[in-house]
Amino acid sequence: MIVFNRLAASLPTLLIVSLLVFWFVDFIPGDPARILAGPMATQEEVDVIRDAMGLNEPAVTRYVRFIEGIVNPDVAVSLRTGRPVATEIAERLPNTLIIAIGGLVVGLLAGTITGVICALRQGTWIDTVITVLTLAGISMPIFWLGLLCIWLFAVYLGWLPPAGAATPAHFVLPILTVASRPAAMFSRLVTASLLEVMGRDYLDTARSKGLSESSVMVRHALRNSLVAAISVAGVQFGAMLGGSVITETVFGIPGIGRLLVDAVSRADYPIIQYSILLFSFFFVLINLVTDLLTLWLDPRTRKSEGAN
Amino acid sequence: MAFSAGALFAEPSGILRVAVGADPETFDPHFNDLPTGNTVDLLVLEGLFRLDAENNVLPGLATDHEFSDDGLTLTVTIREGRTFSNGDPLDAAAVAASFTRMLDPEVGSIYRGLYSSIDEVVAIDDLTVEIRLNERNGHLLLLLAPTAASIINVKALEEMGAAYSRQPVGSGPYMVESFVGGERYRLVPNPDYEGDYPATLEAIEFLVVPEDGSRMALMETGDVHIVERVPPEAISTIDALESAAVITPASMFSINMEMVLRGPLEDIRVREALNLAIDREGMVQGILGGLGTPSVGMPGPGTQNDLRVTFDPIPFDPQRARELLAEAGYGNGELELTMTCPTGRYIKDVQVCQAIQGSLQAIGVNTQANIVDRGTWSQVAATPPGDRTDNMAMLGRATAGMDYTLYRLFRSGVSANTTGYNNPRVDELLVDGRATNDLDEQRAIYGEVQEIVWEEMPFIYLWYQTQALGVADTVSGFAVQPNETMVFDNVTLNN
Repeated sequence: MIVFNRLAASLPTLLIVSLLVFWFVDFIPGDPARILAGPMATQEEVDVIRDAMGLNEPAVTRYVRFIEGIVNPDVAVSLRTGRPVATEIAERLPNTLIIAIGGLVVGLLAGTITGVICALRQGTWIDTVITVLTLAGISMPIFWLGLLCIWLFAVYLGWLPPAGAATPAHFVLPILTVASRPAAMFSRLVTASLLEVMGRDYLDTARSKGLSESSVMVRHALRNSLVAAISVAGVQFGAMLGGSVITETVFGIPGIGRLLVDAVSRADYPIIQYSILLFSFFFVLINLVTDLLTLWLDPRTRKSEGAN
Repeated sequence: MAFSAGALFAEPSGILRVAVGADPETFDPHFNDLPTGNTVDLLVLEGLFRLDAENNVLPGLATDHEFSDDGLTLTVTIREGRTFSNGDPLDAAAVAASFTRMLDPEVGSIYRGLYSSIDEVVAIDDLTVEIRLNERNGHLLLLLAPTAASIINVKALEEMGAAYSRQPVGSGPYMVESFVGGERYRLVPNPDYEGDYPATLEAIEFLVVPEDGSRMALMETGDVHIVERVPPEAISTIDALESAAVITPASMFSINMEMVLRGPLEDIRVREALNLAIDREGMVQGILGGLGTPSVGMPGPGTQNDLRVTFDPIPFDPQRARELLAEAGYGNGELELTMTCPTGRYIKDVQVCQAIQGSLQAIGVNTQANIVDRGTWSQVAATPPGDRTDNMAMLGRATAGMDYTLYRLFRSGVSANTTGYNNPRVDELLVDGRATNDLDEQRAIYGEVQEIVWEEMPFIYLWYQTQALGVADTVSGFAVQPNETMVFDNVTLNN
């Protein structure tokens, strides 16, 4: 029931987004026909292109076609290539997801391990080193870190290819780069929540049952930070989809982010509209999943939801 | 002549890897507008004519051509026995079908307007086509030579649909083997090719990397043999590599600040003052890292160089500029101007605009620089001069021939004319120049146009762009056309 309610609540959000996404392109400066025709084109040349693009039709007709395009890919074609937007997106989505999911998993692992180390070795040199690194991970812009990684691992050490997406090795640098921020966030989160519960009685109880320190950590203390970690993971996953615009440009990866950047510079409206709609859909989905996971993990929220 | 004996007999060998900055997205010549797409079309398709690395017109599929006495029909004879890479015959009917598709309003090619002089293209027999015009056009061969006029296989296109844009069926020396959008595309030799430019390489692989730093890294690691668009700040790094060097071929792009000839800018003294205020040499060396030459007239070099007239460089003379402003009635700080500048459209565009702002400030002109995104910029440039709220905009112009460039920029009322330039004598000359195919007449006509325009200074003339590419020492025979199309006709790899 709760699941159904949440799902139903997402639909109006998507509808509003679809309207916004559709209308906003009318407010973007620049005529796509003019951009495609180039600055040397005469007005007649631009008019020919405008007409061919269907830009002279009324807004309502174009909106209906936009919505129709969600279910019927043949209606929604790129202004530039004439191929269905669905095909363009489907070809590129896997690359974006590989990097986002890969980055999240690597970030989660690295963050948890360093977080536990910091909590256990609080105040030692290793704690200081990790704290400095996490601060750097949170503060450093991704494009800058990406270029540094390319210089170090590809140009200087020669271990990995600098750019492209031809082999799995091409994905290592982008994944490591995007993992930096979630790793830093998780590390801080885990340290903080461990330090908070470490003195609590229930951990002493666990210890007194004869459990080793590591199983106390993993089974009792860490579990407590899981709920917070899931909401952070949701936010980070969303941020990574948004950040794909930058990551994919730096590493020359053909993903949705690059598709969107290229489409913006060429005013390829259908690609822009459907990519943003897809991003919005992912955000709604991520929120839904984090909400449901939180409900499932934390009985307290489940009860209060039920009472409503 | 155009080929070497070695290239004719040697088996194609070696895999050439090239890093490019822009995804061509489509190889359909009727829709492609990027040099990366032209590069592929030049290898995969053939036209009736083609351009060499200096933009001279050479025969392609055409063996002979003749204008009718009234100048309204061009009869072209094509080579015998040629086929497309899928085996279909490349006869006169196929040539006519290709042009008919480009001119079809339903198809919506972005080049239909450019070829509006052509009424229809008709196959007379197997090897003869007639190109029928609706106006005399003495520059028709220059229009038929770029890759936009390449011959595509319309029959294959109709069968393949949108897939054709990524794997066009042509008659050129190479074929597109694969195209992964936004990432890479690979060309391999066309075994049935019978023309003068046979494939010399086993494969040409292109990698698309828009970010400058990452693209340069591919050259530094030796992952690619050629990298295009080397930014000024990376030239020394690429040049310092042991096994590669930077080449700087001429470009057909001229960058200028195009003034709107209204209000204070109606006064030639003001326009001259603004021109004298600019230190072009300092700008080219200091900001562009040498990737340009100070402008000495429009059009710049690139096409029909023998019809060009060049003038003495404009001196950098702020003192004289101040005097001219005073003569025109503007004291220190009394003239206020607004300029529109794109960001990321031309090399170092924003920095150049800031430098111009400083130079104009130095002669007592308060200048506001509106730095805008590409969409806004293209909108400003497309606004009729009478409705503009700014005084000038930075624009790059391609020199694809005298008629193309001068007619579009200086004929009154043409929409690419952003200055509102209106000179009845120039209008008359431009119409005459378009109609004649007599080279001496063209030289006299366009010489006069170039002189009048230079005297009247509708632009703050800036520079002619220079290209920069990194090329590995193992590559020989590589050339680049002034429109950034790469030419691989004679390229060999020596390992």
